[in-house]
Amino acid sequence: MAKTDARASAETPVIAIEGLTKSFGAHQVLKGVDLRVGRGEVVAIIGPSGSGKTTLLRCINFLEEYDGGSIRIDGTEVGYRDGSGARRRRSDRELAAIRVDAAMVFQQFNLFPHLTAAQNIMLGLMKSRGRSKAEARAIAEKWLARVGLAAKVDALPSQMSGGQQQRVGIARAVAMEPKVLLLDEITSALDPELVGEVLAVVQELAAEGRTMILVTHEMAFAQEVADRVVFTDQGRIVIDAPPAKVFGEQPHERLRSFLSRFVGFRPNPA
Amino acid sequence: MANYHFNFAIVWRYAGKLFEGLLLSLELAAASIAIGMAIGLVLALISLDGPKWARPLIAAYVEFVRNVPLLLLVYLVFYGIPSAIDLQYDAITSFVATLSIYSGAYLVEVMRAGLEAVPRGLIEAGKSIGLTPMKVLWHVRLPTAMRIALPSLSNTYVSLFKDTSIASAIAVPELAYGMRWIETQTFRTVEVYLLATPIYLITSYAILLLLRLAERRYSVAR
Amino acid sequence: MATLIHTLPFLVDGLLTTLLVSACVIVLSLIIGLPLGCVLAFGPLWARAPIRLYADFVRGVPILVLLYFVYYGLPAIKVNLPSLLSAIVALTAFKSAQIIEITRGSFQSIPSGQTEAAKAIGLSLFDRFIHVLAPQAVRRFLPPFVNSVVDTVKGSSLVSLLGIVDLMLSLQQVIGRTHVALPLYLIGALMYFAINFPLSALSRRLEKRFV
Repeated sequence: MAKTDARASAETPVIAIEGLTKSFGAHQVLKGVDLRVGRGEVVAIIGPSGSGKTTLLRCINFLEEYDGGSIRIDGTEVGYRDGSGARRRRSDRELAAIRVDAAMVFQQFNLFPHLTAAQNIMLGLMKSRGRSKAEARAIAEKWLARVGLAAKVDALPSQMSGGQQQRVGIARAVAMEPKVLLLDEITSALDPELVGEVLAVVQELAAEGRTMILVTHEMAFAQEVADRVVFTDQGRIVIDAPPAKVFGEQPHERLRSFLSRFVGFRPNPA
Repeated sequence: MANYHFNFAIVWRYAGKLFEGLLLSLELAAASIAIGMAIGLVLALISLDGPKWARPLIAAYVEFVRNVPLLLLVYLVFYGIPSAIDLQYDAITSFVATLSIYSGAYLVEVMRAGLEAVPRGLIEAGKSIGLTPMKVLWHVRLPTAMRIALPSLSNTYVSLFKDTSIASAIAVPELAYGMRWIETQTFRTVEVYLLATPIYLITSYAILLLLRLAERRYSVAR
Repeated sequence: MATLIHTLPFLVDGLLTTLLVSACVIVLSLIIGLPLGCVLAFGPLWARAPIRLYADFVRGVPILVLLYFVYYGLPAIKVNLPSLLSAIVALTAFKSAQIIEITRGSFQSIPSGQTEAAKAIGLSLFDRFIHVLAPQAVRRFLPPFVNSVVDTVKGSSLVSLLGIVDLMLSLQQVIGRTHVALPLYLIGALMYFAINFPLSALSRRLEKRFV
């Protein structure tokens, strides 16, 4: 396994995952995953479907309970209180407070269909960040403008294209000012011509120095935007290295066969 | 409850009556569903592919029947019509006719939804291998529509089986009638209900189970 | 024709009873069915099991049998209810089972991504329910609920078999006196239709708007 980037271990990492295991019934999806993500880092997770990359992301937001190991966001254990030996699942209230530190953007957008674009963003700001309605509205408008949807503030999700909905999804997540942004295959459900507008928003956020973990099938995008690329296979992290190294030398047999499936993608070692 | 003395022996003597009642209930349901399905299918096809002027007529039939109590329709057919025109029929015929008309109104909607949900591509595929419209209907549209409609059909069929109990209002000797009859003969009310209610329950769920098995077997992978 | 106009006030009295019975049944069934339906959707197994059993039992038996059971059966174990109350109890037992099912279905048909998105922005269980799940459930609940109101009005005609003078029985009584059967049945049918058709139309409009 390639060694973790030196920069990440220099200070307290935003995300520190150690020995993470998770099974669905008899099938072990995560077989001891270690991952550290430093402040301002963008980490792209790639790998064949079923390799555990989406599950890993969902564990960070505790949308999946994990069986063993630990996940810390800024030093705080995510799902469990580790007291004297026995793990205790955190209360719903504690979980809610921790979850806002890691905001998730979903493959299927998951916008609330009964709320307008602005209301989708305002809900979390008001209910978990304790903002007033006016403040929340101002923040929502600011973010919608940033993702190019100033005209859609009061539109319902059903009145927007997939690309527009996903941009609202991103705005909803960043507006919470999370410590890390989790992006789960956010362009997979989009028509090809709408992918670009969504990736452009992500690129801008990356340039601002936001910490992000993204699971993606867009190899060219991963290469361009990520500081590190993590390749998962069969529940383990096989490679964790800068994109130039991952896509350049193709040192690993499984990675080579995985990448060969992306027709038209030519790794360009920078 | 504590001082009620059960006496199943007396009721048991009349159990045959309940069994005959159940058989008749099932026959009433089966006959009505068969006729109702024919009505539903034909009217669904007409309202989808037929002339435009037929649509409001079908809608009027569906809306009238669905918004009026079944009991009233039963009385209307059994007492009302023979009082106005010279036409004689027995209670069973009358009830089957009523329940058929009633179920038809529900089944039109179910079948229309099923037919509309048949993917266009399947119909085009049928045409492209040279099937006539009639053959496309028979070999492609109907089988697919039936499979899509099966879950809704199952629920409708069970409701119709339970609706046969209303035939007791015009003295058709089906299960609910048999139940009341034994009760008035023996005055063993609790025992009668302890016997008859499970018969309805078991039969309802047996019908549902059979149809669920059919659903699993014929379900369209979509 | 004159006789028909004469009987109209009598029929309207019956109609009022029909509406009264239906309204009582609907209100009581909502009071019972909504909370139990929520428990069935979110509650622990020990709470779900008895509700499941109740709903499945009641829905497997004809309404008429439930009516007979309450009116003729319960007195045998010393529970004597007047006929109107018996009717309301029996119809409510049936309708609340339906409301339970509709409520459960309304919540369970909401995609799990909605809950996940609400969790991801840090909403507590209470806020998730109030701001994300409940508003969406209401939209799914309304069309089948309005439809089930139509069924209640129709089903209430069965109370005539217990001797309650609702629209159905008042029709029968007028016909018994006047021997004008077919026109009176048609008038009765139109009266039921006049109440139910707007509700059916409303249900369809709600469905189109929300689904």
